[in-house]
Amino acid sequence: MKRMAAIVRVVELRKSFGPLEVLRGITFDVREGSVLTIIGASGSGKSTLLRCLNYLEQPTSGEVYLDGKPIGFRIEADGRRAPDTAANISRMRAELGMVFQQFNLWPHMTVLENVIEAPIRVKRLARKEAVDLGRRFLSKVNLLDKENEYPARLSGGQQQRVAIARALAMQPKVMLFDEATSALDPELTGEVLEVMRALAKEGTTMLVVTHEMGFAREVSDRAIFLHNGQIEEDGPPARVFSAPTSERCRQFLSKVLH
Amino acid sequence: MLDNFNHLVLPNINLLLRGLSVTAYVCFFAFLLAIALGSVACLVRLYVPFIRVVAIGYIEFCRATPIFVQLLWVNYVWPELFGFPKTVVGAGIIALALQSSGYLAETFRSGIEGLSKGQRDAGLAVGMTNLQIMRRIVMPQVVLVMAPSIVNQMTVVIKSSTLVSVIAIPDLMYEALKLVNTWFEPIEILTSTALMYIVAIFLISILAKRVSDHFRSKFGLAGLV
Repeated sequence: MKRMAAIVRVVELRKSFGPLEVLRGITFDVREGSVLTIIGASGSGKSTLLRCLNYLEQPTSGEVYLDGKPIGFRIEADGRRAPDTAANISRMRAELGMVFQQFNLWPHMTVLENVIEAPIRVKRLARKEAVDLGRRFLSKVNLLDKENEYPARLSGGQQQRVAIARALAMQPKVMLFDEATSALDPELTGEVLEVMRALAKEGTTMLVVTHEMGFAREVSDRAIFLHNGQIEEDGPPARVFSAPTSERCRQFLSKVLH
Repeated sequence: MLDNFNHLVLPNINLLLRGLSVTAYVCFFAFLLAIALGSVACLVRLYVPFIRVVAIGYIEFCRATPIFVQLLWVNYVWPELFGFPKTVVGAGIIALALQSSGYLAETFRSGIEGLSKGQRDAGLAVGMTNLQIMRRIVMPQVVLVMAPSIVNQMTVVIKSSTLVSVIAIPDLMYEALKLVNTWFEPIEILTSTALMYIVAIFLISILAKRVSDHFRSKFGLAGLV
């Protein structure tokens, strides 16, 4: 099931906000079907990294490839880099599903409408087809019975599961999770982690920014520790979590693991 | 007094109602035009950097000019400058729309800016275009959140419309003044006229509030605003 091909490739990615350099040259690959967790203190650039991958933030320099295709730029016939068209960028984004810390469900649409909006508008599916698809993914996150509710009537954990279904409904090649459980009460994180665990088991390629160290250790194939916009530690979770070589990573882990 | 009412207002009620229908006609189209102009001004101000300053100038001009001046200006100056409007009713609609569009543009802008960035991000992340996000995600929420201000602006248009009588549009106020000047009995006629305005505005406010409350509670927006 797990192939060796790198589905996401990040090369020397840099991102500055004004004078502040948040990412300082990040390079890594993600194999198809694998789970990569990205850990680090707040302000280390984890969220910015994910947002650069689907071009919600425009990288200052460096390259991101999805399945071999560059995101946000194209190579002209003369070999020069040119910014890609908005339409192409949208198309590439659709192949990367993203789950946000704050869920970001659309409050004026029902649960089902949230899930089928993009399949209808972006993929141009017929409504009936989209509804079937939407229900399939809602049942995957165990929320089929809530399809006609509005988001405000759901708990945080339920909202986040809808957000996962919404991202999955576009059948993306890669799922990005940006602190998907950080805004949830502790008793609600379990139901979201359970869904994420199931996705990992099915072989979904996932990039997960998280503070749930136990989950990261158990589910991921590889973990990256970011510090000051650089990769400080990179390896299999057993090593990164138990025997990190970087002093900063050790300090960070001792703080979050008590 | 009741006697006066019986022989001043009742025999002329058709005249007043005809005036009211002109008021309704002028206000309806003025408000539609105001929404269109206001949306354009707001979107240009927010998203079209190189003519942004034009939109700001337009909005500030509309908001800073008294409606009375705008009415006379559109009615007497525009035909000379631009060749339109050709009728007083057209001039009245445009003048009322101008002023309201300035206020509505700012209402829409604060609605758009108040919407969390995450709402747009979620649309972008699933591959929606900016236009789709504007139409499907931003606008519906702005209208819901801003419904009270939008309705309020509608009542302002109705109240301002009483001034269109000065350019001889036969609206409710015009007909009422004509009756007053015929009989020199302002008490009953003006009181009845005021009542008609109050009832019209009251009904519109109630209806709009009902509708917007329904949607706001349905979507759970009531707690947000």
